Amino acid sequence: MSELLVRNAYVIDPLSGIKGDIMDIAIRDGKIVEEVGRNAEVIDADHCLTLPGGIDSHSHVCGTKVNFGRYMSPEDMRAGRTARKGVMHVTSGYSVPTTFGNSYRYSTMGYTTVLEGAMAPLEARHTHEEFTATPHQDMLANTLFDGNWSIMEAVRDRDVNRAAAVVAWTLSAVKGFAIKLTNPGGTEAWGFGEDVHSIRDQVPHFGVTPGEMIETMIRANEILNLPHSVHLHCNCLGVPGNYQTTLDTIDLVPDLNAKRQSLYLTHLQFHSYGGSTWRDISSKSEDIARAVNNKSQLAIDMGQIMFGRTTTMTADGPMEFKLYMLHHNKWSNHDVELETGSGIIPVYYSRKSLVNCVMWAIGLELALLVKDPWQCMLSTDNPNGAPFVKYPEIIALLMSRRFREREMALLDPRTGHYAPLPAIDRELDWYEIAVMTRAAQAKALGISGIGKGHLAPGAEADVAIYPLKPGLLDPSTDYQQVMAGFGKTRYTIKRGRVVARDGDIIVEGANSTIWTKANVPPEYNLSADPEFVKKFEQYYTVRMSNYPVQDLYLPRGVRITTEAAL
Amino acid sequence: MRVILQTKPRKNPHIPIEAEAVIPQNFLRKNDIRVYEGNKERKLEEIFYITTEGPAVSPDQVEIVLAGETGTLKRVGEYMNAGRIVVEGDIGMHCGNFMSAGEIIIRGNADAWLGREMRGGMIRCEGNAGHYCAAGYRGEKRGMRGGTVEVMGNSGDFTAEYLCGGEVRIHGDCGDLTGVEMRGGTLIIGGNCHRPCGNMTGGTCMIFGNADAMLPTFRSNGIEEREYEGQRFQMMVFRGDVANRGKGTLLIRKK
Ligand SMILES: [Zn+2]
Repeated sequence: MSELLVRNAYVIDPLSGIKGDIMDIAIRDGKIVEEVGRNAEVIDADHCLTLPGGIDSHSHVCGTKVNFGRYMSPEDMRAGRTARKGVMHVTSGYSVPTTFGNSYRYSTMGYTTVLEGAMAPLEARHTHEEFTATPHQDMLANTLFDGNWSIMEAVRDRDVNRAAAVVAWTLSAVKGFAIKLTNPGGTEAWGFGEDVHSIRDQVPHFGVTPGEMIETMIRANEILNLPHSVHLHCNCLGVPGNYQTTLDTIDLVPDLNAKRQSLYLTHLQFHSYGGSTWRDISSKSEDIARAVNNKSQLAIDMGQIMFGRTTTMTADGPMEFKLYMLHHNKWSNHDVELETGSGIIPVYYSRKSLVNCVMWAIGLELALLVKDPWQCMLSTDNPNGAPFVKYPEIIALLMSRRFREREMALLDPRTGHYAPLPAIDRELDWYEIAVMTRAAQAKALGISGIGKGHLAPGAEADVAIYPLKPGLLDPSTDYQQVMAGFGKTRYTIKRGRVVARDGDIIVEGANSTIWTKANVPPEYNLSADPEFVKKFEQYYTVRMSNYPVQDLYLPRGVRITTEAAL
Repeated sequence: MRVILQTKPRKNPHIPIEAEAVIPQNFLRKNDIRVYEGNKERKLEEIFYITTEGPAVSPDQVEIVLAGETGTLKRVGEYMNAGRIVVEGDIGMHCGNFMSAGEIIIRGNADAWLGREMRGGMIRCEGNAGHYCAAGYRGEKRGMRGGTVEVMGNSGDFTAEYLCGGEVRIHGDCGDLTGVEMRGGTLIIGGNCHRPCGNMTGGTCMIFGNADAMLPTFRSNGIEEREYEGQRFQMMVFRGDVANRGKGTLLIRKK
């Protein structure tokens, strides 16, 4: 039995309704408890800001695409090298670090749970292997269904139950967590050299539209009672004028779940552009935020960009090709048979580029204009908008109007003409930041029930103690301290153990992988379904029996089991 | 100042030494210089007998002489920005990576990646060089950008891949895919090579021996005269690589 007592903590725990109380947190054997004995180890938090461990609900840190980003960018690998030190492995890389680099940097910032935003089912083993080498965070994998042939056939046949059965079989086979749609239909169209340009375009050769796919998958998701909703990367990412596609998508979304959103829209900054060309691109954050404010069944994340060098990587193959045509630098393009694809290119976001300045403004605007912080989560779509190590800077920008003005002064002076940011006064408070960086994620992902994102007795003892004293700080003027504080915890506690202290990693760590299994009635089990089996026999290069990820790939798997309403 | 580094006998002489710290600027002050033997960090004096002669006030007055079993030393001269390194025998992989100034003389052979992504300065190898001599690196779109690399013997495959600037001079033969992806700079080959300059977009390559398996995507552009080692030769001029809308120049000696 190991016991730990965190004393004198300034706690904000939104899911438990705690908005800044000085209290003690008792921990026994990795869980939060009511109280511990007098022999418990004690940490004096000294009135510092203490939050549940951070949760990133959309990040790209593990898997084949991330790894390809690593080997196509030797210059990125040379950046951010750290030597072996105590239990710490060597790390390297800046925008696409090694797995240990990701894990340690997240841990230093108080993050204890990370969702990988896109796992190709066929290549799931690689993702899981990298998960086990990300030892300080519990990991979850969004599983790509955007170009899945069986899904598109079910959508064409208007058979939502069949779509649910395909999802259930696949999630269980690849140990995935939730449904991810990346440019639904578009990635498969790209396999034929095409793309889709609205949610009403036909996907070539499949007779379905992205809109039909999104609607069907939202319903299938609820039939399976999955913890998370459908996680959508809308069509037309990065295209001037794409806000209309985003609004059209939002119009489709029914309200089907009382506990959480029915659709999660990721990196919405990239989907909120007005104008018709790169020359007249403008911010449509006001329209998008209004739509989100009007529909409580939506949750979004920002997809903030930050200036500097990074790497873009997504299953959205055609979008990456458009970027390649702009930059003519390195480009990777990848097809995953019968399922999805991907593309990767390095980018540099510049303050001298008006387009980049407007993009920067849009992300912040979304966070400031969406009224309810539970609906808008902090993200950079790491590393697409910026590496996640920029989160503290984004927090500081959201908390300080003065900091935003100072930054705006460095940008292209026309930025204010194309984006409403200068007119926005709102400054987020500590509570709202706590919601946007952990509590809202736990709710949106549906993992508060397994003890994530809060500090009530029974919860996982994942705790972040930041060297910030809310009573003594005014974030609107002390933004530098806010930034530094969120960048380096005094203590990061993972499952009851201090894993990082003042930026030093002190424990090797051992994480869990959370996945979902939806139980379906026998007639919906596709293992012996002739049509489904034929897919493997005729098209896949992998046998059906070799396709599922074996348990040994998840040394500490945590399974969430649901009962499908089929 | 002259620093002589003579290798000491080692229990397992085949384990490579990561010696990127062996550059003149590091010897100016009495620094604690460390290298890696495999994954073990070693003090310089654990690997070498060190003899220092004379003073130096700036790195360009530092000469490092490497002697003994030098063929296992990797990354010697990486990021070097002044001074001189003389290798009495062979040298391991990645000698002169990213070097920006100064000179490296190799009396024996050099292993792969000699002068990779070099920015400036001079490397002369009196023996043969391995693959990827004066080239870029995996995933890197720009290779050597400046300075000169001269190899008196032969070099391996992918010589001067992604060459962007500076001059590469190979007196012997080159291997396959010589000058592939060249974007600038000058590549001069005294001997033969195989499939030169695929995807070339800029720069000049001159071949005074034979070019085997010449690619069909170069456009003939007349005859010019060029000099090599005091003799004048008639050269066939080509432009390409047309497949990549390239504007490079490839000159091959007319027989
Ligand atoms: Zn993403």
